[in-house]
Amino acid sequence: MTQSAGNTTLDYGRERARMRIASKYIPLLATASVVVILYVYGCAAYGPRFASLRVLVDLFKDNAFLGVAAIGATFVILSGGIDLSVGAVVAFTSILIAAFCEHHGVNCDYLRRSPDAAVAFYRYRHLATHHLHPLLAIGVSLVLGSLFGALQGCIIHFYRQPPFLVTLAGMFFARGMGFVIHPQSLGIKQPFYIAFLNDIKIPLVAGVDIPFTVMCLAVVFLVALFIAHYTRFGRAVYAIGDDEQSATLMGLPAGRTKIMVYTLAGFTSALAGVVYTFYMQSGDPASCIGFELDAIAAVVIGGTLLSGGVGFVGGTAMGVLILGLIQNLIIFNGKLNSWWTRIAVGLLVLVFIAIQNVVTAASRRTTRAAAG
Amino acid sequence: MLKRFLRVPTRLLCSCLLLAFMIAGCDRGPKKLVVGFSQIGAESEWRTAETESIRSEAAKRGIRLQFADAQQKQENQIRAVRSFIAQKVDVIILAPVIEPGWEPVLREAKQEGIPVILADRGISVTDLSLYVTLVSPDVVEEGRMAGRWLATKLNGKGNIAELLGTPGSSPAIDRQNGFREAIAAYPDLKIVKSQSGDFTRAKGKEVMEAFLKSGEKIDALYAHNDDMAIGAIQAIEETGKKPGVDIIIVSIDAVRGAFQAMVEGKLNCTVECNPLLGPPIFDAIEAIRAGKTVPKKISLKEQLFEQSQAKELLPTRRY
Amino acid sequence: MKLDYAQSRQPFALPGWLAKLIWPVAALALLLAFNLFFTKQFFKLEIRDGHFYGCLIDILNRGSQVMLLSLGMTLVLATGGVDLSVGAVMAIAGAVAAEMINVPAMPFPLVIAAALAISVLAGVWNGLLVGVFRIQPIVATLVLMVAGRGVAQLITGGQYTTFTDSRLVFLGNGHFLGLPFPVTIVAVMFAITAILTRKTALGLFVESVGDNETASHYAGISSRTVKFMAYVFAGFCAGLAGIVAAANIKCADSNHIGLFLELDAILAVVVGGTALAGGRFYLFGSIVGALLIQTLTTTMYMRDVSPEVAPVPKAIVIILVCLIQSPAFHQQVRKLFTRKATA
Repeated sequence: MTQSAGNTTLDYGRERARMRIASKYIPLLATASVVVILYVYGCAAYGPRFASLRVLVDLFKDNAFLGVAAIGATFVILSGGIDLSVGAVVAFTSILIAAFCEHHGVNCDYLRRSPDAAVAFYRYRHLATHHLHPLLAIGVSLVLGSLFGALQGCIIHFYRQPPFLVTLAGMFFARGMGFVIHPQSLGIKQPFYIAFLNDIKIPLVAGVDIPFTVMCLAVVFLVALFIAHYTRFGRAVYAIGDDEQSATLMGLPAGRTKIMVYTLAGFTSALAGVVYTFYMQSGDPASCIGFELDAIAAVVIGGTLLSGGVGFVGGTAMGVLILGLIQNLIIFNGKLNSWWTRIAVGLLVLVFIAIQNVVTAASRRTTRAAAG
Repeated sequence: MLKRFLRVPTRLLCSCLLLAFMIAGCDRGPKKLVVGFSQIGAESEWRTAETESIRSEAAKRGIRLQFADAQQKQENQIRAVRSFIAQKVDVIILAPVIEPGWEPVLREAKQEGIPVILADRGISVTDLSLYVTLVSPDVVEEGRMAGRWLATKLNGKGNIAELLGTPGSSPAIDRQNGFREAIAAYPDLKIVKSQSGDFTRAKGKEVMEAFLKSGEKIDALYAHNDDMAIGAIQAIEETGKKPGVDIIIVSIDAVRGAFQAMVEGKLNCTVECNPLLGPPIFDAIEAIRAGKTVPKKISLKEQLFEQSQAKELLPTRRY
Repeated sequence: MKLDYAQSRQPFALPGWLAKLIWPVAALALLLAFNLFFTKQFFKLEIRDGHFYGCLIDILNRGSQVMLLSLGMTLVLATGGVDLSVGAVMAIAGAVAAEMINVPAMPFPLVIAAALAISVLAGVWNGLLVGVFRIQPIVATLVLMVAGRGVAQLITGGQYTTFTDSRLVFLGNGHFLGLPFPVTIVAVMFAITAILTRKTALGLFVESVGDNETASHYAGISSRTVKFMAYVFAGFCAGLAGIVAAANIKCADSNHIGLFLELDAILAVVVGGTALAGGRFYLFGSIVGALLIQTLTTTMYMRDVSPEVAPVPKAIVIILVCLIQSPAFHQQVRKLFTRKATA
């Protein structure tokens, strides 16, 4: 505080403003420091092998599809809802793409029998291969994922059903449909897929490179950041999550936003399924059981409140890193057997959720104290 | 305000570093062989017996074993293998949960020059040089042995109900195919019911109850593992029928519980599926380190055990 | 002028609880009717060894675990929370019971008491996290859901602990009055829960905390205590279900006992009329919901539908039953009919 009477108010205003900004980002900073602490602990406990570039890149590589799905789930949770169908949609998308690339194809017989066969055959010759082109398969699955999400959003909004229930039913539906497409896991041997994996990557030192999946994650993250903070849709999501009634009274399109949020979640889940197929080069209808709970844990550890309205996409990204680091630390330790591994993971998740709760509560108290 | 906030994590950071350096400084033994083992999980007694066998063998030979449990998820196994590559282990043992999806990570292991040994299940890859050898029980032969025994016991005629393992798992597929191969020569042997019991006792019991209520005459039961058979035995007893007498039962695994059931006259035959993979795996590792060539597939020898042998062999069963 | 209130009342006005119950009961009746016509052997009932035997009895037997879970889950959902860990608590209780019964000369009541005590402890853990530390119920119970199976495996040392003690086996396989014993356990628990919630003020407290926590606080009800007790009760019910499950297969399968049953329990409660947001709860509705889900599962088995595809019809039925219960859906249907009438 300065001596001049005129400047005192200005300084007081600036100090208040600084405190307000700081307390909004405190949960984010807390999550960031947890990531750093975990990483430094790993480096110190396990030496230069943990501190290598390979481990850092692997952290992103192994959690790319969880990251994509969790970013979509962030929007849903920010709007005050929840999406339990994430894992099932990932599995469904993966087996759909695998089935398209390996088994099914467009039936071209009719093309050959019709009088305009020559013209049609020429026009559609890229479809006349035995399998469906992977890009088309990816496109179809992304559209299906978005439509599925939109359907869930419509039921939730128009019939006022709780999101937990509708997305739970959606999870059962998508899981079962995955098995209808193909009952077992299917490897993808399509040359386009293999080419993608081998050619599109950024090489770094010592045989480590950044693969296509991590690039997808980076793009999704940046787009999500933009949507959340620089579009009207993002602002509407935050507003609806905080208080839907007030948002509607203020003139924000609550219904349209809610349906779009679930569509976005369906899209990112399908995209996570696509990333999964690049990562594993296979599709599996039985995979990703319990995956939605990992995504929700990542979002909560990242500082987003399950009641909605508070949180950051960046926080979710760090939550994903924390989950990955926990797993990595346990593997580097290598001495825990199966049951202690489960107990350790559960307890560590609890510790970080508790830390997040405490920090968020404290920062909200500070904000309220500063405002009041 | 920000400075005050940063004080706590900074202190936490320093104390963590101190603690970590203390821990890291403690481990200074002679350089041992380090083997990374990515196990599927602990979902059955058979699996736990396999883990125990590998662990005890590693301890016996003075090899440091880095153990990673994957909770039956493939992504956790891939994470574990990548971690082993980063830890620069000498050998990786992998028990793959499903067949496809391993190419990218095994290629990384090959690049770093770390040999990979597959335990108990195979993988589907286009490049077979991605793994050195597969050490496993001959699962297809298990199905065939069960089929041949049942055909002889039923004199080539009868209705068979089948309890399958987890759909899509390679043991379930192999045991199914092997069995059908063996009974193909007997046209009067029909498989009238076939559903998945998921390799668990509870599901086996539930599915058997549904089979028994469906009204079909069932002369024999072929269960892909002992746990499902034991569950099915309970279901049969509850209907008042006698398992082992009214319905002939053959299963695979040869765990203690199966021998107990045979002593009680409820199970007729069990085919061994040896989970003690420790010794052959580590023999293979030593051969690889010595530079010798190792066969692509190392199959464990297995036998069939009948009711008559059960009583005397029960005390000798290690799992 | 005397106002005629009788005329202003709607004809056929059912009391609230009956109106809510009609839909799950109707859905169950529809499903049973479908089976009557299209699934042979479904309604066949015989008497063997002095007890009833048939598909319907199996539904009651298998469904008893979900029914027990849904009793506890009803109270938890009524307070506005959710408990995802009940499956894992079942595994822990089964593991404790199996390990203790194998210790020679262990008194049977002590075995049961120990298993129930551990599950109550698990409920206390959840209650502390949700009620006292105010962590969101989904993530708080998620912790025990992940770690709980690890604890169960720790207790059994990774083995399938089997047992043959006839008293414990009777709990899961015995018969009383011709029906499987688990059904008796469910009936007794239902009676106890109904008396505790409807004949004392406890039910009112639970409903009010779920409906409006702030108002309840000002009315003098400690929402923390009520929520805590709800999770403890859910843990107790899960413990009972776990003992029954282990007794049924005469072994403690820590990996598979109760796997995914928490989802079935939540569905049963919601289909039965209790709202997910909390408030009024319907115990009998939860029992009917659990029966509906188990009938669906058994129908799938009897019709040889692959168990992996079975979730699809389950999802459709769930959505339909919930839509039918939704007032917005009623409005839409009414609009359709009135439009047709005026057209």
